[in-house]
Parts: sequence; C-alpha cells; structure tokens
Amino acid sequence: MAGEAARAYDETGDASPHAGLRRAIAVLALCGLFLAAYLTLYHYGYVGQIACGTGGCETVQASKWSRFVGLPVALWGAGYYASVFGVATVGSMGASAERAWPTTLLLALNGWGLIFSSWLTWLEVARIHAICRYCVVSAVLVGVLFVLSVLDWRSRRRTPRGGGSA
Amino acid sequence: MSKTVRKQSGSRFVGMLVMVAIAGVAILGYSVSRPRAGITPVDPNLPAGTAEGYLIGNPDAPVQVVEFGDFECPACAQWANLTEPDVRARLVETGQISFRFFDFPLDIHPNTWPASNAVACAADQGKFIEMHDGVFATQDQWDGIATSNPKKVLERVASGLGLDMNEWESCFDSQKHYPRIKANLEEGIRRGVGQTPTFIIGSTMYPGNIPFDEFKRYVEQAAAAAAASTKAPAKSGS
Repeated sequence: MAGEAARAYDETGDASPHAGLRRAIAVLALCGLFLAAYLTLYHYGYVGQIACGTGGCETVQASKWSRFVGLPVALWGAGYYASVFGVATVGSMGASAERAWPTTLLLALNGWGLIFSSWLTWLEVARIHAICRYCVVSAVLVGVLFVLSVLDWRSRRRTPRGGGSA
Repeated sequence: MSKTVRKQSGSRFVGMLVMVAIAGVAILGYSVSRPRAGITPVDPNLPAGTAEGYLIGNPDAPVQVVEFGDFECPACAQWANLTEPDVRARLVETGQISFRFFDFPLDIHPNTWPASNAVACAADQGKFIEMHDGVFATQDQWDGIATSNPKKVLERVASGLGLDMNEWESCFDSQKHYPRIKANLEEGIRRGVGQTPTFIIGSTMYPGNIPFDEFKRYVEQAAAAAAASTKAPAKSGS
C-alpha cells in the first residue's frame, strides 16, 4: 500500500507519497472529532436523554470511568482527534509533506490513542459490563488511524531521502 | 500538468474536509436542537410536593438503600422481577438494609405517570409492595407500546389485590399524588440520577441493573464503611 502511494506520487506528480496517507488520516480524524464532540455534549446533557438503563451508552456515560483526570473521556478524545487532524493536515501540505516530524508525531499520537482506546474497551467489557456503540466506532477509527500512521512510517522508510525536500 | 494535478488533488482534499465538516455540524446541530422528549403527559407547571419514597424494612437498618425507578422502564422491571425478591428475602427481611423506592418517571415513557399514580393509590391502602410488584409484572400489558389507556390494566392489577376499588379509583382520577411523584423525580435529578434504575447504597450511587451478588457486595462494603465510621469517633474519644 505504501508502494501504491509512492506510485501515485510518480504518476500524478503529487507533493509526496505521504500526503495521500496523511490526508486520509486528516479526514478520518475530523470524523472522529465530531464523534467525540457528540459524546462530550452527551456527557454534559446537551444531547440524548436520561433513559432507562437498557442502553450501553447511558451505562458507560454514567460510570465512574467516564471521566479521566477530572475531564470527560470524550473531551480527551476530542483533543486527541483535533491534534491528529491538525498534524495530518499540516503534514500533508507544502514542504511539511516531505518532513519526518509529522510521521513521528502521528505514530506517537495514534499509538497512544490505540493504547488508551484499548484500555477503555477493556473497561467496557470487564468492568462496566456495557458496550456503547459510539465508543466502538471510535475504537475502530483509532485502530484505522494507527494502521495508516504505520503505513506512513513504512513508506517514509522506503522513500529515498532528499527527494523533494524543501 | 503536474501542477494542475496537484491543485486538483489539494482541492479534492479540502472538498472532503468541507463535506465532513458540514455533515458533522449539521448532525450536532440537529442533535442539540431536537426536542429531548417524546411525550409529556403531565402539566409541566405542576408544583412539586415533598419528596418521599416508599420504605420497606427497618428504617434503622445499618445500611440504607434507595432506588430511583421508572415503572415503564424494562431494566427496572427486570430488576424488580428477578433480583428484588432476593434482595427482600436475604437483605431486607434479615435486617441488613432498609429499602426506599423513589419514583423517577422518564419523559420517554408515556404511561409511567399513571403507573406511579396507581402504585401511590394502592400504597394509601397499605399495598405498596404488592402493587409495585403487580405493576412491574404486567408492564408489557399497560406500557406505551401496548396501550394508550393504561388505567384499564392498572385497575385490574389493583382489584386483584383486594383493594377498595372506589377509593382507589377516586384517588387515581384525582391525581392527588402527582406533586409528590414530581418531587421524587426532582429529588433524583438533584442527586444526579442519570438513568433508571439507579441505586444509592450507603453513600455511593450505582447506576444500572445490578445483579444480586454485586448488590450484596456493595451492601457489605457500605456496612463495613458504616462500622468503621462509628468506631473512629469512639477511638478518638478514648
């Protein structure tokens, strides 16, 4: 897949083989940002409703694990997605598309995101005994973002240094 | 040529971001602005009375348990039908806990207020537990999915308990307990109840349908905490 990105670079004359992957990361992170914003509004009671506890989201949001270091977990999620979106967008534009720092930063952010999201999923299954479908969507999104960051990192290792660097 | 392709690729990217942003803002805007509840069957200006739950067991038991429940909530019915009999037999009747039920009628349930009202009218005649159990056991016959006239079924449940039906019916029709039911609801909101059922065991709130073993463990933890707090002043005083 990284090779495909490199070929796309050759054929289209696009700025960098990394740009495509980083743009995909940016689009997915923006989707995640809205999802996390929805869950944050849910946490503060602006959307959704107090309900009979048959729904997993109500149980998860009402549990003690819905907050982390004093803030709603969803708000941390929004911060994470916003950071990934920012780095991926800047990292796919102009000279930054050829730089290594966006790759490193995205790998670190999404690696941390994957660990945190896995812990939250484990809490839902083993401690809260309820599954919130929005959290599942977010966990899948984080997984895909991590895979894309790894592909970006691999394609960077394969791309000869110096080409197009500003 | 490559410049043109690069430009096209860049505008495709921006276009996708704009599309996602528009969709996201539209969904969030709709979610925030849409009405929060389906049906409001009672006058929203109804003045609240004094919050007062229904007590089961010894009021001086070492651990006080409070439930906020909705008679039309399936999770509450499941707890009442499957777990509560064990709680009553093994914790209430043995004197380990007192149990107090507060109505927490949710807006999403159209028939929950009449159900709370029916139970309150039966409680006037000393049949709270029996009516509570009967109403939960027949939930699928009088809930908002089954009927828009729950009184018929609730009346049948009440008459099966040997109540004075004239008294029960005049109580039911007068809606005289509505202010207290509203006060119970407001008490739950004041305490931060976010779903039904919610239990307060000792001083800790536990949302959700709790299985018996877990419930018992929380009671034991609350009893241990209560015992420790009564010992502590005695030690410091000696």
